[in-house]
Amino acid sequence: MAQLAFGLVAAAMLGSGLLAVRSRNLVHAVLWLAVSLIATAAAYVLLSAPFLAAMQILLYTGGVVTLMLFGVMLTDHRHDGGAPGRLSNDSAPQRPWLGAFFAAALFGVVAAALYQTPLPVPAAALDASTARLGELVLGDHLVAFEAISVLLLAALLGAVALARKTDP
Amino acid sequence: MGMDFVMNHVWLRPLFMSVLVVTAVMTTCAWSIWFERKLSARMQNRLGPTIVGPAGLLQPLADALKMLRKEILIPRDADPWLFRLAPPLVLFCTVAALAVVPWSETIYIADLDVGILWVLALAGLMLLPIWIAGWASNNKYALFGGMRAVAQGISYEIPLLLSAMVPVILAGSLNLKDIVRFQHDHGWFVLWPPGIGLVAFVVFFVTSLAEANRIPFDVPEAESELIAGISVEYTAMNLGLFPMAEYVHTLISSAVAATLFLGGWDGPFFDATWYDGVVWMVLKTGVLFVFIYVLRWSLVRFRSDQLMYACWVWLLPLALGLVGAAAVWVKLTQGQG
Repeated sequence: MAQLAFGLVAAAMLGSGLLAVRSRNLVHAVLWLAVSLIATAAAYVLLSAPFLAAMQILLYTGGVVTLMLFGVMLTDHRHDGGAPGRLSNDSAPQRPWLGAFFAAALFGVVAAALYQTPLPVPAAALDASTARLGELVLGDHLVAFEAISVLLLAALLGAVALARKTDP
Repeated sequence: MGMDFVMNHVWLRPLFMSVLVVTAVMTTCAWSIWFERKLSARMQNRLGPTIVGPAGLLQPLADALKMLRKEILIPRDADPWLFRLAPPLVLFCTVAALAVVPWSETIYIADLDVGILWVLALAGLMLLPIWIAGWASNNKYALFGGMRAVAQGISYEIPLLLSAMVPVILAGSLNLKDIVRFQHDHGWFVLWPPGIGLVAFVVFFVTSLAEANRIPFDVPEAESELIAGISVEYTAMNLGLFPMAEYVHTLISSAVAATLFLGGWDGPFFDATWYDGVVWMVLKTGVLFVFIYVLRWSLVRFRSDQLMYACWVWLLPLALGLVGAAAVWVKLTQGQG
């Protein structure tokens, strides 16, 4: 039963993720990404981590995807070739090796993390309750948590600096 | 025996409760449209619906029949699948929040540990199908409405979340039932901590009105500027689903506000039966629900920029301050946290 549920969720995640990458329509791509993120939340539910699932929907589907839609609507797509909202790589420089490099790097990090985790994990370490998560994030790993916040802030400022063409 | 068997069954109980709660809420919402029309008519010295049934009471049924019998039109240049998908999704995201609203100690669908987060996550998720409806219509008014809805929703979500965190911090739980039990023992959050609770309640109520796109925050609809915004290209029951979702959302917002700040089902006189407390919960929700209607027919709409200004300049810092104040209160009154 759990195997079947996981299979369905994983298929939904991968299928919608693939469609998000392959879709020629930018809005469709973003919406498929939303489906993929919701399926990820379902996977968290299956792993008995309801807090992560709720946060996944609240932040990623409700927040990030919405901001992506803003990005799509507020940027100029007339030079992309074709109709507004249509994706085309013809005018953009092709750098497949760059994509391959980042995909490989991401896979390497995830694989390394998986490789270093002793499986099966002892039951005590699997406590993903909200209280335990709060203690871990705001107690044991406070410095890392704050460092990530600063990193996100820096990324935000970088995006603003890159997007702004002229100084006011 | 029969009732006890259902109430203790693993999946019969949620099924029974879902049918009960969703039916009750949907019926209430259908007749609340009649009630709103009557109320607004009285406020404007008119009569409102009078023809169908005594005092026009059968008007919602007539409206529903009319909606169902009309043709569903899909504009030639619309995105056909997204256009069809959006209205049911809006209603789904709204109704799904009912799952965690506790109507009494025993009447609830799911006792979720992250209850309040579920409600807020769905409120955020609902923006997506609303935007889809605006975009898929391929109509500039609809798209403007969709963009306004998303901009408003994502802005007001932040003070909404923060003000909802005040009861969470005070009660020390994200579970809506735990929050009500805590208020039963220590008093309703609208009364204490002095000032903080009341202001948090007002902020939560105002921002949830904005999330539900109710007047004075209905700029995505704005029939005088956007000729009804996202729903402009929709016909028949597809069109009907938008106001239906809006009414359900308003009802759920009232219920959640009553749960978080007004003590939920807690109150004197009603105890010890299996429907204990549901009277109080329904009463509190009803008062807030009716108050929203009175507001709707008393106030005028904000301008889109005024709406954003009010959120980012006033409500957000206020909500942040409330969260800080609640945390300090807990620290001071409970010794060590």
